[in-house]
Amino acid sequence: MPNIAVFIEQRAGQIKTVSWQMLSAARALVDQQGGEVWGVHLHAAGCQVQDQAGQHGAHKVFTAEAPAFATYDSELWTQALAAFTREHKPDVLLIGSTAMGKDLAPRLAARLDCACVSDAVGLSWDGGLVVKRPVFAGKCFAEVTSTAPLTVVGIRPNAFAQEAVGGTAEALALTPALDAAAARARVTSEETGSAGKVSLTEAEVVVSGGRGIKGPENYVLIEQLAEAFGAAAGASRAIVDAGWVDYSHQVGQTGKTVAPNLYVACGISGAIQHLAGMSSSKCIVAINKDENAPIFKVADYGIAGDLFQIVPALTEAVKELRG
Amino acid sequence: MKIAVCVKQVPDSETRINLSGPAAALDSSSFTMIINPYDQFAVEEAVKIKEARGAGEVTAVTVGAQARVREMLKKDCLAVGCDKAVVVDDPALANADPLAVAKVLAAVLRRDQYDLVLFGIKAIDDDASQVGVMTAELLGLPHVGYIGALELGQTTLTARREVEGGVEVVTSPLPCVLTCGKGLNEPRLPSLPNIMKAGMKPVEVVDCAALGVAVPASHTAVKQYTPPPPRGACTMITADTPAEAARALARKLRDEAKVI
Ligand SMILES: Cc1cc2nc3c(=O)[nH]c(=O)nc-3n(C[C@H](O)[C@H](O)[C@H](O)COP(=O)(O)OP(=O)(O)OC[C@H]3O[C@@H](n4cnc5c(N)ncnc54)[C@H](O)[C@@H]3O)c2cc1C
Ligand SMILES: Nc1ncnc2c1ncn2[C@@H]1O[C@H](COP(=O)(O)O)[C@@H](O)[C@H]1O
Repeated sequence: MPNIAVFIEQRAGQIKTVSWQMLSAARALVDQQGGEVWGVHLHAAGCQVQDQAGQHGAHKVFTAEAPAFATYDSELWTQALAAFTREHKPDVLLIGSTAMGKDLAPRLAARLDCACVSDAVGLSWDGGLVVKRPVFAGKCFAEVTSTAPLTVVGIRPNAFAQEAVGGTAEALALTPALDAAAARARVTSEETGSAGKVSLTEAEVVVSGGRGIKGPENYVLIEQLAEAFGAAAGASRAIVDAGWVDYSHQVGQTGKTVAPNLYVACGISGAIQHLAGMSSSKCIVAINKDENAPIFKVADYGIAGDLFQIVPALTEAVKELRG
Repeated sequence: MKIAVCVKQVPDSETRINLSGPAAALDSSSFTMIINPYDQFAVEEAVKIKEARGAGEVTAVTVGAQARVREMLKKDCLAVGCDKAVVVDDPALANADPLAVAKVLAAVLRRDQYDLVLFGIKAIDDDASQVGVMTAELLGLPHVGYIGALELGQTTLTARREVEGGVEVVTSPLPCVLTCGKGLNEPRLPSLPNIMKAGMKPVEVVDCAALGVAVPASHTAVKQYTPPPPRGACTMITADTPAEAARALARKLRDEAKVI
């Protein structure tokens, strides 16, 4: 009967949606295996998660409130979660594979000398936890088992559906003793970057441009289509290396791995390194003037044509449909 | 300044993985092995720091079979400015998981004491993105992960790291562990004379016993590898005008795929 803890992540008071997805995934597991789902939330003040956590399947929610939790700090967050797991001994701790989660999970796992698996897209139980995760940026999947009493699992955003089960969670307070002197690497400032409003790895729709856009001045076509979809804008490495867009937009084996509901590739040939980063997207659309481009081999829908005509027309069509 | 760079050998990004069904292991016989692309940024950064200071020493450290990693160490580390290398070659580490690898690296790094330890953000084979941060924890050192820019002072450093939709600026005292991403620098290519000279640089080969540590047990294991789910055929949309094609596509995305 596994007890599964879920780290409910907030950044600047905003809860990451992967948190609700993880609660739903955890609830589905314990509904089969028994055990409970516990939310764990660290916040600075006034961040209420109990109702929503209960809605999404948590039986209990542990919250720690401290001024130190206003800005992420790997050391203090690790201290708090280590104290929680030592006291309550969950069998599994799910942490979103976000910028924060990828920083936190390995440090916590090393401190606790427990199992750690990143970027999971599937969870099952077969005498113990089995974690399914893409390796080689999605060219194949690995099913990973653990022999430790605690397994920390990073969960890829959007890999699990968020489902409201309509429950209520019992609220419990955590009061971890924090040793601020141990925190040496400190965040001194935060800047909002050109990747803009929707982040690539969390977006439900991603629109990417490649060398077919011909020059940096035309990336705006990609951004406009992205805006019409409410999407994040991505890029192939070719146009990142050419300096047309910032590296934070790169999708692929040496960029970001994304798995949105919809991925729209415009003027991208579909090199194996690019496919590695996006081929697990649920629906893939390719727009390319070369009907033999490899991108069409992974696409669900394709238009063989000139992106300079198709992309602005699609922007209009999407705006019309979405009202 | 003493700098260590941890590098891993991985299959080339062109590598195709041909699995017809679940398999207990991947057939690596046809893989071409390269230095992990992110580790090249770490190597370049270390060498740049040494050059800028006009003094210091850069050591490349890898856990792997010496017969396989020698070429990589020579061409991608020693020929581009690393001064020496340490290989931990121990058959008992063949299927070591990230935490086990971190424990071995920590043993090397503790023995030799560095001011700065650089890693890649992730290895492009296991995609774990764990070893650097775990090693920092095991060494009791602070870390800054996913850095894209670095300013190094005498006793502190300031690094920029990418987070969702923005950048965090982080300051840390030395010694410190950094995991390096793209954008940090442009890795140089080795020249032929430097590759020749690299053959003269010292490469130390050790196993766990020589490091004075027990072979760390892995807490995780890969039970099996499976191919990605097959994708259906592509529906090509044709119409008389771009506008009609675009409208037809948008309708399919809404009504058939249900993604808008
Ligand atoms: C170690 C390594 C790591 C790599 N990592 C990545 C990675 O993470 N991500 C990545 O993307 N790549 C990566 N690459 C690069 C990859 O191999 C390709 O070079 C790159 O993806 C090509 O980008 P592209 O599709 O934009 O350009 P191209 O391959 O040049 O394709 C441009 C496409 O645009 C089409 N086109 C041109 N004009 C038009 C038009 N008017 N309308 C419509 N279509 C048009 C063309 O038909 C063509 O298919 C990596 C390579 C290496 C060696
Ligand atoms: N076997 C290894 N030997 C040396 N360094 C490694 C090894 N495995 C991983 N690393 C380092 O840890 C980083 C992250 O790897 P990973 O956690 O496996 O994604 C790599 O970019 C390397 O810098």
